[in-house]
Amino acid sequence: MLRVLLVTDTDKPIGDLREQLARMGYDMLAEAAAPSALHKAVESQKPDVVIIDTESPSRDTLEQLAVMNKAAPRPVLMFSNDADQQFIRAAVGAGVTAYSVEGLAPERLAPIIEVALARFAHEAQLRQRLAKVEDELEQRKVIDRAKRLLMDRRGMSENEAYAALRKRAMDQGVKVAEIARQLLSMADLL
Amino acid sequence: MNITSSQPERTHLRLGFVALSDAAPLAVAALRDLGARHGISIELCRQPSWAAVRDKLLSGEIDAAHALYGLVYGVQLGIGGPQADMAVLMVLNRNGQAITLSRPLADAIRNGASVKEALHSLGRPPVIAQTFPTGTHAMWLYYWLAAHGVHPLRDVQSIVIPPPRMADALVEGALDGFCAGEPWHAVAEARDAGRTVAYTSEIWPDHPEKVLACRRDFAALYPATARALVRTMLDACAWLDTRAHREEIAEALSSSALLGVPRALIEPRLATSDGGDARALPVRFFDEGAVNYPRVSDGVWFITQYRRWGMLGADIDDAAIAASVNQTALYREAAQAAGIAIPGERRAATFCDGRVWDGGDAAAYLAGFEIRA
Repeated sequence: MLRVLLVTDTDKPIGDLREQLARMGYDMLAEAAAPSALHKAVESQKPDVVIIDTESPSRDTLEQLAVMNKAAPRPVLMFSNDADQQFIRAAVGAGVTAYSVEGLAPERLAPIIEVALARFAHEAQLRQRLAKVEDELEQRKVIDRAKRLLMDRRGMSENEAYAALRKRAMDQGVKVAEIARQLLSMADLL
Repeated sequence: MNITSSQPERTHLRLGFVALSDAAPLAVAALRDLGARHGISIELCRQPSWAAVRDKLLSGEIDAAHALYGLVYGVQLGIGGPQADMAVLMVLNRNGQAITLSRPLADAIRNGASVKEALHSLGRPPVIAQTFPTGTHAMWLYYWLAAHGVHPLRDVQSIVIPPPRMADALVEGALDGFCAGEPWHAVAEARDAGRTVAYTSEIWPDHPEKVLACRRDFAALYPATARALVRTMLDACAWLDTRAHREEIAEALSSSALLGVPRALIEPRLATSDGGDARALPVRFFDEGAVNYPRVSDGVWFITQYRRWGMLGADIDDAAIAASVNQTALYREAAQAAGIAIPGERRAATFCDGRVWDGGDAAAYLAGFEIRA
């Protein structure tokens, strides 16, 4: 069974991989959260694989172990000689890096990497989707306030108010929300 | 070829750096927009580790970086990690690093104990940190320990922790000392966690330290860009050669986006004079270009040390490797276009153990070390 160490010293939820990897049958070692703890964890627990955030300040600690200790995990994911640039870019972009012991067959490491990459690529997608939903909500609020302003000041119905905003938006080639924002900012002057 | 009129192929460059006082040339170049004269704009990208600097250079996320001299050679030789063809465009600074030991050890040495006696008094292997396995600080530390009769691989546990954590680790007792860049020694002293016992200029006077590094293919594909970048950094290094400018940049470096350390801790050891201690040579950035030429023999020295410490066993032509990494021709074109003198190919220096490295017979030089892996 592969022994996997997760380094959880940044905001990235590397620790969240624990459950999924455990379910897949990996031996999950106690997490290491500080550079000094990491050094001890690698020396005493001898992990086969270490998963760490690309942005972790502890990475150089692992680099030292890799050079000075033959049994320590070495950086493998990013730059095996045949790794193509696209994959390197994806791994760096997803923010995950792996170290594994020499002689570990790549196919044994692959599922762990895939879980980590999928997890963090998925998170990036979720963040994007959340940002989009929040943006849409914000736009709808602005449009509602602009409609109410037109209804109050011009005696328009709600439909008329929206039609007026929409026509102006189409004339100017911008979003309705943008026209609504302009209207609200001008309304403050009135 | 009319070099001065060749336009950079790339006009916006992302430069990686690590939070250190000797990242000053990059800060100057970015803050004063010194690239504009040479047709480039510079974006600074702070990196949390040297491993991240390496990975992002290789992935193309950053174009060039302020890097440990030895990091470039470690990647070139594939020591402990990925191998890739690398380029040293120029040297960014000399000197300016140090070794700090815990209070009790430093006091013992101050009271007359030898380094060996002081370390031995712990009754256990001392734990001494540096910053990257193939980096400059590892090589300064190992050289210094060996010069004092302490075997860096057998008598000492050598670990790496991030420099901003060094002072805490000393206070917690997890460390007995460290070799790193500034301002982290000043920080450790200010916290009363330890004392600086040696300056790296005492180990190798005017040693090369940080370089401007990029992938070899970047320099080959975008030669005009690389020249523009070298000229920009030469301007930045020259700008740093006055006392007033060093003070100005110390203030800028103190910002949270760069170092996030108070100016009072950065400025003294970044000064043009003795850095507060008469034993130390000041950190040098330019000196009319004497600092910056990527002399091949400087690169060869690092390879001799990797062999010395058992990190490299391969039978390769060390001088040929160094000549392919250090972009001397490209540097010459850029420096000559700027009217900056090129120093000599050879430079003899006497190290702290009395040995002389003049770029001559590397095999004989290596054979002369008694303490080795």
